[in-house]
Amino acid sequence: MINRNIILLLCNVVLHGVYVQLFAAANIIDLDLNFKNVEKHIDLQSQLTKITTRLILENGSKDRHISNFLFSLEPEQKNSLSYIAAYREPVRVELKLTEVKVNVYPDETFYEIELKDPLSPGRTMSVEIEWILTHELIPHPKEITQKEKQLVKYIGNIYLYAPYTITKQTTTVSLPSRNIETYTKFKPVSQSDAFITYGPYEKLPPFSYEELNIHFENNNKFLTVTRLERNIEISHWGNIAVEEHIDLLHTGALLKGSFSRYEFAREPKSWEASIQSFDTILPAAASDIYYRDEIGNISTSHTRIKKDSVELNLRPRFPLFGGWKTKYIVGYNVPSYEYLFHSGDLYTLEMRLLDHVFDDMVVDELVVKIILPEGSKNIELSLPYSATRLPDSLHYTYLDTTGRPVISVTKKNLIENHIQNFKLKYTFPRILMLQEPLLVAAALYLLFLLVITYVRLDFSIDKDEVSESKLRIAGQCEKILAAQDRRVTSYNELDDQLAYLKANKDANTFLSVVKGINQEYKSTTNSITEIAQRLKGESGDVYDRIQELQKYDRTLKELYNQQQALYVDKLVPGKIGRQQFVEAEAAITKKKEECVEKINSIIKSLQ
Amino acid sequence: MLPNKTSVINTRKDMFPDKKSTSKQMKTSTLTNAAGLNSLITFTVLLLAWISGFASRLFAVIRFESIIHEFDPWFNYRATAYMVQHGFYNFLNWFDERAWYPLGRIVGGTVYPGLMITSGSIHYILHSLNIPVHIRDICVFLAPIFSGLTAISTYLLTKEIWSAGAGLFAACFIAIVPGYISRSVAGSYDNEGIAIFALQITYYLWVKSVKTGSIFWASMTALSYFYMVSAWGGYVFIINLIPLHVFALLIMNRFSNRLFTSYTTFYILGLLLSMQIPFVGFQPIRTSEHMAAGGVFGLLIFVATLRHLRTVLTKSEMKYFGGVVAVIAAILLLILICLTYAGIVAPWSGRFYSLWDTGYAKIHIPIIASVSEHQPTTWFSFFFDLHILVTTFPVGLWYCIKRINDERVFVILYAISAVYFAGVMVRLMLTLTPVVCMLAGIAFSDLLELFFKEEDSERDRSNNGSEEESEEERERSPGVNLRNGVVIGAFVLMMMFTLHCTWITSNAYSSPSIVLASYSNDGGRAILDDFREAYYWLAQNTPIDARIMSWWDYGYQIAGMANRTTLVDNNTWNNSHIALVGKAMSSNESAAYEIMTSLDVDYVLVIFGGMIGYSGDDVNKFLWMVRIAEGEHPQDIRESDYFTERGEFRVDSEGSPTLLNSLMYKLSYYRFGELTYLEEAYTTEHWLVRIYRVKKPNEFNRPSIPISKRIVARNANSYVSKKTPRRKKGYIKGRPTIIKGQKPQRKPT
Repeated sequence: MINRNIILLLCNVVLHGVYVQLFAAANIIDLDLNFKNVEKHIDLQSQLTKITTRLILENGSKDRHISNFLFSLEPEQKNSLSYIAAYREPVRVELKLTEVKVNVYPDETFYEIELKDPLSPGRTMSVEIEWILTHELIPHPKEITQKEKQLVKYIGNIYLYAPYTITKQTTTVSLPSRNIETYTKFKPVSQSDAFITYGPYEKLPPFSYEELNIHFENNNKFLTVTRLERNIEISHWGNIAVEEHIDLLHTGALLKGSFSRYEFAREPKSWEASIQSFDTILPAAASDIYYRDEIGNISTSHTRIKKDSVELNLRPRFPLFGGWKTKYIVGYNVPSYEYLFHSGDLYTLEMRLLDHVFDDMVVDELVVKIILPEGSKNIELSLPYSATRLPDSLHYTYLDTTGRPVISVTKKNLIENHIQNFKLKYTFPRILMLQEPLLVAAALYLLFLLVITYVRLDFSIDKDEVSESKLRIAGQCEKILAAQDRRVTSYNELDDQLAYLKANKDANTFLSVVKGINQEYKSTTNSITEIAQRLKGESGDVYDRIQELQKYDRTLKELYNQQQALYVDKLVPGKIGRQQFVEAEAAITKKKEECVEKINSIIKSLQ
Repeated sequence: MLPNKTSVINTRKDMFPDKKSTSKQMKTSTLTNAAGLNSLITFTVLLLAWISGFASRLFAVIRFESIIHEFDPWFNYRATAYMVQHGFYNFLNWFDERAWYPLGRIVGGTVYPGLMITSGSIHYILHSLNIPVHIRDICVFLAPIFSGLTAISTYLLTKEIWSAGAGLFAACFIAIVPGYISRSVAGSYDNEGIAIFALQITYYLWVKSVKTGSIFWASMTALSYFYMVSAWGGYVFIINLIPLHVFALLIMNRFSNRLFTSYTTFYILGLLLSMQIPFVGFQPIRTSEHMAAGGVFGLLIFVATLRHLRTVLTKSEMKYFGGVVAVIAAILLLILICLTYAGIVAPWSGRFYSLWDTGYAKIHIPIIASVSEHQPTTWFSFFFDLHILVTTFPVGLWYCIKRINDERVFVILYAISAVYFAGVMVRLMLTLTPVVCMLAGIAFSDLLELFFKEEDSERDRSNNGSEEESEEERERSPGVNLRNGVVIGAFVLMMMFTLHCTWITSNAYSSPSIVLASYSNDGGRAILDDFREAYYWLAQNTPIDARIMSWWDYGYQIAGMANRTTLVDNNTWNNSHIALVGKAMSSNESAAYEIMTSLDVDYVLVIFGGMIGYSGDDVNKFLWMVRIAEGEHPQDIRESDYFTERGEFRVDSEGSPTLLNSLMYKLSYYRFGELTYLEEAYTTEHWLVRIYRVKKPNEFNRPSIPISKRIVARNANSYVSKKTPRRKKGYIKGRPTIIKGQKPQRKPT
């Protein structure tokens, strides 16, 4: 029994799934629904075609609630469509919009718009649908001279290409100027200033089409970013570097005949068809901004720092006329705390997938590369709209060993409305931050070690007797000098003790201390003699000098002994008169000084 | 008793107030290790010289940006970038079809690759360590980095010749001397930047090998010579100076086995190595410039043999032997002369003739004379580039002559030959600069040594209290005032030298010359970036295979920045091709059009300074174009046509008609005149660069033919209207004739 139940349940689930799929694939046009009122607004003021349609939906059925409806576009608009969105009015709430196919009309593209709250029978609801098309305005004539104005042609549909019946429709077209060459006179129509109003038309069948043809002046920027490569490099040391490689093409009417700098400089009118500069808006925190191309810095740019953004006025190297193109690189740094969030080892990056280049921009192809720190794992990317993810790769830069993961995304045909944030989650063990400083430290350590080893060791394959013996002598001399230093110390101590004795007349303590000093003295003297014996074979000259040193030292010691005897035997018991003592001491001191002078000169020569 | 005793002690203390200080024995540990101190000072001074030399070359980078300068560096940069991208062997086999259209250029065989290999290997090492430095930055900073190495090698050379102190002076001088900075500022990516280092290190190793006579040092000399050959054509200076040194030593009867070992080793190894460079090839055995080295090699062997034989043979045998040798030598000389005439050994090239006869180039090779750096040097520029060194280096030279030995003979010859060459050509100031620094270093070091040493010895004397000063010495030793005066004077001179160097570097040698800066009265700076504006326009908005005609000065820049095909460039190897371009520029428009179409020219680029007052424009260089064109096409172009009747070169409305109709003039002043065969394609913001498109034959207005001469081809059977002024009425074909009272007759069908 239980088994059977489970099987049934499974069957149910499977069937349900199939059903849902079938439903999605075979959406039916609900005949009960109709558009009670349609206001279509075509905005042709820029190079884009922005169409906004306000619909009032009416549920004509008796008892059914309607939770979604379909919307379609003219087949020729399919390729130039860049962006589409639907909102519920009057309180603006974005509605979910998905692309679907309808079996009855296999060639048409439909969008299913889900209403947040189902529409009850007999009620109405107001919905606004906005879609933006690119490259729809065709320059006509195709080529103009420098002085001429640019005229463009627009071909569209006066009606709304909808799968439902429309009760009433009006269409307005707004143009950049009142200079209109021709427009379709499909009555009722009226023109005032830069607006053309068609309609109202009533009782329109589904998929009604009436060609709208307008030929008008449009001197706005017809500028296309043919390719935009955006590189985002993240450093966990607090910086995010953004660099954009931008290829620009003037997609307006081509320049006919020659370019004349003379007229360009003299008549401001001839500027109209060309693009001299544009503004790019960067994040407010952007710093270290650079603007350059393959052959170096482009010096004609200005930045204006505003409250919530940095406005960058970019001037290409040369004014762009129709058909002319250029390429440049813009880069800047932003602090990472504004975009990168973490808890423990878990990081989330939230940044714009596409950023502003100029107003009403068209980006034909976008490639975004996000370079994460070395060692990032478990990367999850969530995009605001569908885009193709390219295979991941590795990027090597300063101090990298295993390479930094690179996440690449590409998408075609984008506009300003695509400036939205993506989210990238990844884990990064924070201990890896230490890797690079340690690497540098280790490299430096190795370098110093190498130098030390090289200096200390002899790599010569040829034995150089002379220099080696020189080195040996120098080494022995150093030892002798060290011993001499010790001897000097013992002399100094002796001096101190003598002075003390003179003041205190305490002969017994003096003698006991001096015993130790003398022992020290003797041992160092012996060691010097020993070293000198060893040196005898190497260098006679040095040996002689040391012998001399020893000789003078012996005299010096003798003098000290005399002084000691003078103090202990004569001064302490008071056997000597003051005058006599002073004379005797002076004589000894003088001899001592002479002796020291000689010893010093020998030591100098030994160094 | 007690108070008495204390008083005794007090008096004693008074008696020996300095007892402790005088009788104190020396402790070795209180003295610094002299050898360690020396090497520390040397290391610090050289490091500081390196740093200051590097830093003073960065004016251009700081004022403008990290960019390649001038003309030739652009080719070197382009070649380096190619090598980095395609690898070394592809670089050696590179046939550049972007240059000298339609001839092309075999780059691998016509370039000294040392520079590219140096920066390419630095790039390779850095990138294998994952340090992604752009090749452009390596190229920009290569010369400043090598200036530090030059300072070190100059130190080593001077140390070998004189003393370590003089070496440190020389290193400091060469680090900042303008004569060397002029060719090695950051961005000046040229052969000379590394060649001066190679030159100095080769000379150092040579002197070292002459001193030691070891094969090791001689082989090192050959290796370093190999590097020099790969880097710069100036290696000819080495291969003539070293034999000259050997020859001078032989004449001075200073032959030694050390000399024999080092020269023979160096010559053979150096010869073989230098022939490995494709551009040099067989030149070392086939051209006159290299013959001296071979001759000295033979002579040295001969002398060595003679010396050896003298120990073996008797006097009478020697006489006989001498006769044989004389005959052999005469035959050898004869063979050499024959070979030269037969053309197997090439005679001296034009550039070398112009070294002996300064007027030679002006008459025979205008293209050499047209380059400003090939002009004879003015006195002013000696001071400009060397400042006080130019006055102090004869002192050093005199010291060397006075205390002569083997290696000082070398530096004397170096100095004398370099002074001569620097006087002939501005460009060779570069080879003079190192030796001037060395000799001035010797002069300063000796001067200061003299005056500091005396002071030391006097202090010693006063300390010792000994009065054993000889009368002689007292006479020689200057007074304290004079001594201080000299020392302070020397320091003031050196300080002024530093100021002068910095000022010259900053003002004269730090302009990239592709970006110009002008200063307004209030100190504001305006950047004229017209060259890059134009080149980038070409790069972006012309077809990838477009051919651009311009005067040869701009060839490398067009190839490097615009990446387009040029007709002529700064590697002026083909005079007739340049003359053809010169002819096109100096002919009238229709004649120029013919030349341009025959050369497939798509665009013409001219530099026009008339709008902003830039003096180095094409109109200024125009007479050289005319002269070079006249050299090849004397029947079409005559220089005298371009002057007015009074012999003036005027570019206003009163100029000669030939000038006013020439293509160059028209292109420069277009919009002040009219063009038929070309149209303006682009002109930069300040009018500095003007680019014209050559129209295709179907585009321009063809010359009109009078109606009477027009012949219109017609088909014979086509319908011809019978309408003439006399028969104005029309008629209907096959009109039915109507006779009253009858039905109209129809023709039977």
